[in-house]
Amino acid sequence: MSAVDLDSDAQAMLKVAAGDRQAFAWLFDRYHASVARFAFRFVGDRERAEELTQDIFVKLYRHAGAYKPTARFKTFLFRVATNHCLNEVRRGEYRVSHTSSETPEGEETGAVEMAGPEGDRPDQALAGRELEQVVGAALGDMSARERAAFTMCRFEGMAYRDIAEALEASEAAVKSLIHRATLAVARRIEELQAGTAPARSRA
Amino acid sequence: MSCGFEEDLTAYVDGELPPARREEVTAHLDTCAGCRSTHALLRNTVARLAELPAYEPSSATRRAVMAKLDALPVPWWERLRKWLRPVVLVPSLGLAAAVGVALLLAGPGPDAPPELEDPAVMELAANLEVAEDYEVLGLDSAEDLEVVANLHELEATP
Ligand SMILES: [Zn+2]
Repeated sequence: MSAVDLDSDAQAMLKVAAGDRQAFAWLFDRYHASVARFAFRFVGDRERAEELTQDIFVKLYRHAGAYKPTARFKTFLFRVATNHCLNEVRRGEYRVSHTSSETPEGEETGAVEMAGPEGDRPDQALAGRELEQVVGAALGDMSARERAAFTMCRFEGMAYRDIAEALEASEAAVKSLIHRATLAVARRIEELQAGTAPARSRA
Repeated sequence: MSCGFEEDLTAYVDGELPPARREEVTAHLDTCAGCRSTHALLRNTVARLAELPAYEPSSATRRAVMAKLDALPVPWWERLRKWLRPVVLVPSLGLAAAVGVALLLAGPGPDAPPELEDPAVMELAANLEVAEDYEVLGLDSAEDLEVVANLHELEATP
C-alpha cells in the first residue's frame, strides 16, 4: 500500500465523519471484500458473515467521528470489525460453525464459493476443498482472539503491530496467538497430507 | 515442544522477529532437528493457506448497508438543516443561516452574528426566531423543534 492510498483513505474517512455518503461508498467498495472475508473466516458461515459485514460497515459509519487520521485506516476498520465480532460471539449471538461435516464431499459448498483457476484442474480443486475444510475445522477450535489474529495475519496480510492495535493487545500477545493458531492449522494440514496421499495417487 | 525457540518459529516465518533474535533462530535451526521440522511445517502451512480459494463477497451487501444508513436516526442538526431549507429563498444561504442557528443552539456562540448580505440577514433573522422559540419554550426534543420549524414554515406561506 502506498502512502497515497493511506492518505486518500484517511481523507475519505474524515469526510464520512462529516456525513459524506459518497466517501463512505468509496471506502466500502475498497474494503468490502476484506471485511467480508474476515467475517467469514471468523464465523465460518456465509449468511452470518453477511450480517456481520453489514453491521461492521454501519458501525464504521456511525463511529467515523472516532477516527484519528494519525491511525492507519485499515487498522481502525479492523478494530471496529474485531470488536464487533468478538462482542457478538461473547453475547452468544453467533455460534461459530466451522465444521468439516458442513460441506460433504461432492455437494456444493454452502459455506464458501470456490473462485479461481481450479476449474480445469480437478485434482487441485479437490485439494482446495479439503484444505478449506481442515482450515475451517481448525478455525472452529481456536479461541475467538486466536481466530481474529490468525485471520488478519493470514488472509489480510496485516503486520503483527497493526493486529495488536486492532485487537487492543500487546505485540507479544499477538505473536503468541498467531503462533498457536498457525501451529494448530499446520497440524491439521499435516494430517490431511498424510491421509490423502493414497487418494491423490488414485487420481 | 519443550524447546524455547519453538514459540518464535511462526514469527520467524512471518519475518516479524527483531534482527538479533532472527539470527539466533537461524543459528538454532542448524542444531535442533525438532525446530527444523516445525519450521518446515509452519512454512508449508503458510504457503498452502495462500492457495485457499478466494472468498466471493455478496454483491447485495452494498445496497443493504446503504439502506441501513438511511434507517439510522438523523442527528437533530441534520434535521434542522433540512427543515430550514423550504423556508429560505436560496439554498446555499439557507445552509449558512442554519449553520448560524446551529452555532447559537450549540451554546455560547460568537458575540457578533456573521456578516451576511441583506437577504441573508433577513433569513438569519427568520431563523433566529426558531432559535428564540427553542430557548423560550425550553424545547429539547427534535420533534418539538420540528413543530416550531413547521410553524414558521406556515407563517412564511402567503
Ligand atoms: Zn529447537
